Amino acid sequence: MSLETVLRSIFSAFFLASVIRICTPIILPSMGGLFATAAGTFNMALEGIMLWGAFTGVFVSAYTGSVWLAVLCGVIAGILASMILAVFHLEFGVDLVLGGLAVNLFSSGGTVFLMYTLIGEKGNTSTLPSLSVPNVHIPIIKDIPILGEILSGHPVFTYVAILAIIVAYIVMFRTRFGTHVRAVGENTEAAITLGLNVKKIRYMAIGISGALAALGGMSLSMAYLQMFQRDMSAGRGWIALAAVNLGNRHPLGVAAAAVVFGLADALANQFGSLNIPSQLVQIIPYATTIIALVVYAVQQKQQAIARMKKYQQAHFEEAKAQEGASE
Amino acid sequence: MPLIEMKKISKIYDNGVVANDHVNFSVNKGEIHALVGENGAGKSTLMKILFGIEKPTEGQIIIDGQEKEFNSSHDAIAAKIGMVHQNFMLIPSFTVAENVVLGSEPMKNGLIDKNKALNVTKELSKQFGLFVFPNAVVDAINVGMKQRVEILKMLYRKAEILIMDEPTAVLTPQETQDLFKAIRTLVHQGKTVIFITHKLREVKEISDRVTVMRLGKVIGTVDTKDVTREQIANMMVGREVFLDIKKPQIKRGEQRLTVKDLTYVDETGRPVLRGVNFNLYAGEVLGIAGVEGNGQTELVEIMTGLRPAAGGEIIVNDKDLCNKDPRTIRMMRIAHIPEDRLTNGVAVNSSIEENLIVDRYFKQPIKKGISLDYKTIDQMTDNLIDRFSIKTPNGKLPVSSLSGGNMQKVVVARELSSEPYVLIASQPTRGIDVGATEFIREQLVVNRTEGTAVLLVSADLSEVMSLSDRIITLFEGEVTGVFPDASSVSEEELGTYMLGVKSQTYAEMEEYL
Amino acid sequence: MRELFRKKAFREFLRVLLALGIGLGLGFVVTIFVSKDPIGNYRAFLLGPVSQLNRIGDWLEESTTLIFLGLAVAIVFTAKQFYIGVEGQMILGAFVAGTIVLYAPFPPLLRVIAAFIGAALMGMIWGVIPAVVKAYLNASELVSSLMMNTIALRLFDYLVSTYLQQPKVAGIMSELFPKEVRLPSFIPNLPFLADIRMLWERQTSVSVMIYVAIGAVIVVYWLLYKTPFGYELRMVGSNSKFARYGGINVKRIIVLSITISGIFAGLAGVHVALAITHRIVQNMSAGLGFEGVNIAILSFNNPAIVPFASLLYGYLRAGADVMERMGDVSRELVMIVQAAVLLLITAERLLPVVQQRVTTDEEEEGQVVHEKGVKHVA
Repeated sequence: MSLETVLRSIFSAFFLASVIRICTPIILPSMGGLFATAAGTFNMALEGIMLWGAFTGVFVSAYTGSVWLAVLCGVIAGILASMILAVFHLEFGVDLVLGGLAVNLFSSGGTVFLMYTLIGEKGNTSTLPSLSVPNVHIPIIKDIPILGEILSGHPVFTYVAILAIIVAYIVMFRTRFGTHVRAVGENTEAAITLGLNVKKIRYMAIGISGALAALGGMSLSMAYLQMFQRDMSAGRGWIALAAVNLGNRHPLGVAAAAVVFGLADALANQFGSLNIPSQLVQIIPYATTIIALVVYAVQQKQQAIARMKKYQQAHFEEAKAQEGASE
Repeated sequence: MPLIEMKKISKIYDNGVVANDHVNFSVNKGEIHALVGENGAGKSTLMKILFGIEKPTEGQIIIDGQEKEFNSSHDAIAAKIGMVHQNFMLIPSFTVAENVVLGSEPMKNGLIDKNKALNVTKELSKQFGLFVFPNAVVDAINVGMKQRVEILKMLYRKAEILIMDEPTAVLTPQETQDLFKAIRTLVHQGKTVIFITHKLREVKEISDRVTVMRLGKVIGTVDTKDVTREQIANMMVGREVFLDIKKPQIKRGEQRLTVKDLTYVDETGRPVLRGVNFNLYAGEVLGIAGVEGNGQTELVEIMTGLRPAAGGEIIVNDKDLCNKDPRTIRMMRIAHIPEDRLTNGVAVNSSIEENLIVDRYFKQPIKKGISLDYKTIDQMTDNLIDRFSIKTPNGKLPVSSLSGGNMQKVVVARELSSEPYVLIASQPTRGIDVGATEFIREQLVVNRTEGTAVLLVSADLSEVMSLSDRIITLFEGEVTGVFPDASSVSEEELGTYMLGVKSQTYAEMEEYL
Repeated sequence: MRELFRKKAFREFLRVLLALGIGLGLGFVVTIFVSKDPIGNYRAFLLGPVSQLNRIGDWLEESTTLIFLGLAVAIVFTAKQFYIGVEGQMILGAFVAGTIVLYAPFPPLLRVIAAFIGAALMGMIWGVIPAVVKAYLNASELVSSLMMNTIALRLFDYLVSTYLQQPKVAGIMSELFPKEVRLPSFIPNLPFLADIRMLWERQTSVSVMIYVAIGAVIVVYWLLYKTPFGYELRMVGSNSKFARYGGINVKRIIVLSITISGIFAGLAGVHVALAITHRIVQNMSAGLGFEGVNIAILSFNNPAIVPFASLLYGYLRAGADVMERMGDVSRELVMIVQAAVLLLITAERLLPVVQQRVTTDEEEEGQVVHEKGVKHVA
């Protein structure tokens, strides 16, 4: 396929629409990760919690026939899973990294275990009549040429993801709760002296991250696919963490970073036909994260050095002036 | 009737330390009341009790005629008391206004009312003459403004009484003046201000009354206009108990270390060391007397390679060690007993013997070939445990199993057994029991008599006076006085130099430094 | 008995036992709920690995890989670096090993040796970026190592599918390694062992890597506890400020800890490639990196304990395998048990039951006064 064909397909409405859809399971957990990180308790278990959400949604929808009940149960499952991390970290002093790894282990194993126990399958639940969420067709917009194809017709979760970004912004910067979360994360001591209940806030932040991660998982098992697959989060939980890091703890930044990752994923497939290997394109966002990390750290260092130099310069000039004056 | 009355307040900690001893302290409405004392005098503790952070073992707190019991700072805040701490409790990425209202944000329709927060901040700022940029991000404003934000925080919570803990410690002279202007405005509008300080010039400049504390007791409360700085200094320093330390005649040897024009500026731009000069000689203890916070900590850290200097030289054997790393400095046989043993001096979770070899694990005989010779290490450890009377069944136990005094003995054992050329001891007997204290002081004297050049930095004036042969005083980053014969200077005299009341010129000091 | 209780090592050992007990107990409870024959299944789980020779072989092989990984993580954890890039180092090490073994123009023995060296070097190199960035810029090694892991996996997929891909097969994988580079059995080729050797060779593929693993344990133990470098590493992990005050070059140690651990991660890759999969195949590292973390935690970062922890977890993994094949319980049960054990071991405040009682007795007897911190009262 020629470059021209590929470029044309990239700029097609279809492609852009698919990018938005691919970003959904990244944006949702990264918004959750944002809350947890903002409170000072980064959630390394997003990857695993997504699995619980995906799993629960599929099974509840298959057994009850109700999509929305399934979504609710999925969210609850996500919150419960995140509570394991929360309790062990906040009450028993388990390190966040290790606790996160443990929950991931539990999730990866536990979901496959239950799947096997309930339906005797280990790979996926394709035999289950699970449901998927409806696509939303926005009236009026859906009829606009090109734009309509990009904006309308996505599964519910996509719109939830976009909503999540907006809500995250409002909550974090306009509500008391969000402001307190940020205060706790940035200066815990100050928060305590001002009477904020640090523990409670952290519990809530972790719970929110679990709920959002679960939604992200469901967007995979009840929209992208209509089943649960083992380890289907496929690294998106880690990408979410990278996005939180890259996005500097701001909802818009994190969302942008998530989109970058999703875009790279989508482009990778397109480029594949151009003989640019998809894996190399996929590497770009991760490499970017490291570069950003380094650049940021270097910047901090330069700033500190520059500040010291500035003051030392001022000090010497002052001393010289004084000497001059006293002579 | 005074607004605040603290009656017979005592505070005794679990480890037996008596921080406050039947303290009577009262403050009138609308006055600026200074609370002074050396480190360890008990002034911070007293204010922590007033602000509800600590509970008194005994005594009463009466605010505006009503007896109060504070279980937390919230109770104190409810009683309209506010405290501005030395280290700021601000959220760096929030704006000034957001910090001011944090915890009790004004709300509108379920969301934070940003405009109200801004307006409230602006009004308070105007009303009390505390100039701030309400929309500025706290990370980007200077220290003076940060402090004003802290004050505004308390005013927002309707504080009538403001406690300020060493507020000028981090300010430039100009910022200090701005702060004083603000304090006067506050008082003019009916507030009451208590501020803790050891800067006597400021006490004279701004306070109405001053209370002096020493060793947990109140020495006296006087009207500021009725006392001189010298008199306050005398009350603060008082009659020290002379320690019975037998010191053989000094036999001063060659010059071993020269500090030349050492300067240091901290991250906020404040000059902490302004050109310090002195020499260390073999066989002599040079003591640095001064209230903590005048640059001693930074001076020691710079001399031992833990902090970079802004300028100046540290010369040992014709080599400039300034800004070199700790390994290089140790290789010149300069030993360091750090002021904070838990942070720097020991690794508490490692064993005693592991702690003892950190300066020699790469040298023979500890290192044999490419590995560590544990037989030698064990022998050395047993040896040191014996020699320094470290109370422990064996050297393989973790340092955390030792008492404070024994921990310090481990530090001292290591540093002294390296047969140092120069020994820098910073607060060597802080927070340890009497037995260990005596032992360590003896060891310092023994080392000095055997020819080591010793630099002793201590906030304990009696320790400095008893152990040192020669004393210099450090005030606000400068050497303000040198006393070639430690035994012939009085505490009061030293106190006046330590507190900046008096100072010698460089010409006067030069030959004795 | 009380004397024993006071020893920290004993308390920690008790903690591990307790955690294992609770973890396995939890596993059993879960089994009761899901299985028609819980006892039978759990018996298969607990006794399976020793029931047949080939299963013993699986157990030993699994454990060997875990030893290398556990050592790698133990090294960085001892220096208190939260580096978890072991998986990336391992898989790229496997790639290098595989490439050398397949294409290097040397005689087989040299190829194998070169593969070892190449993999070890690759592991080191892959750790350089996170190591340097942490040591000199204080940028989170956690984030950079996670990124390097993912990059490594993608890079691996790309390199294998482009350069090593075996044609006409589904899935990304290389050709099988030729017979000449197969690692010999771990039973020496001596006449009086010939029968045993044949038995083991037929049913298992336990190779000389076991000896390499044991050698690695000895080397790492010696390195950490008998050399000046190991001392520096341990002090940096114990209190980096103390280390610096004492003259240790902390930055250098951080870099060395991560890169040296890469050697062992690389060797783990060699083992999987040469002894288990006998080819380079996608996803051959399959979450083993995090297993390394499990092993290190279980061993309290002590190389001497790593082999036992590895055998234990190798046993559990093999046992779960047997249980699944013979019964109706999925092998992922072992992951649940492992997660529970990990949480319980690292829950500092959860298992102080033993600790608290003993410490109070000590204080009563006035033997030990704990200094919480120098509270300078002013």
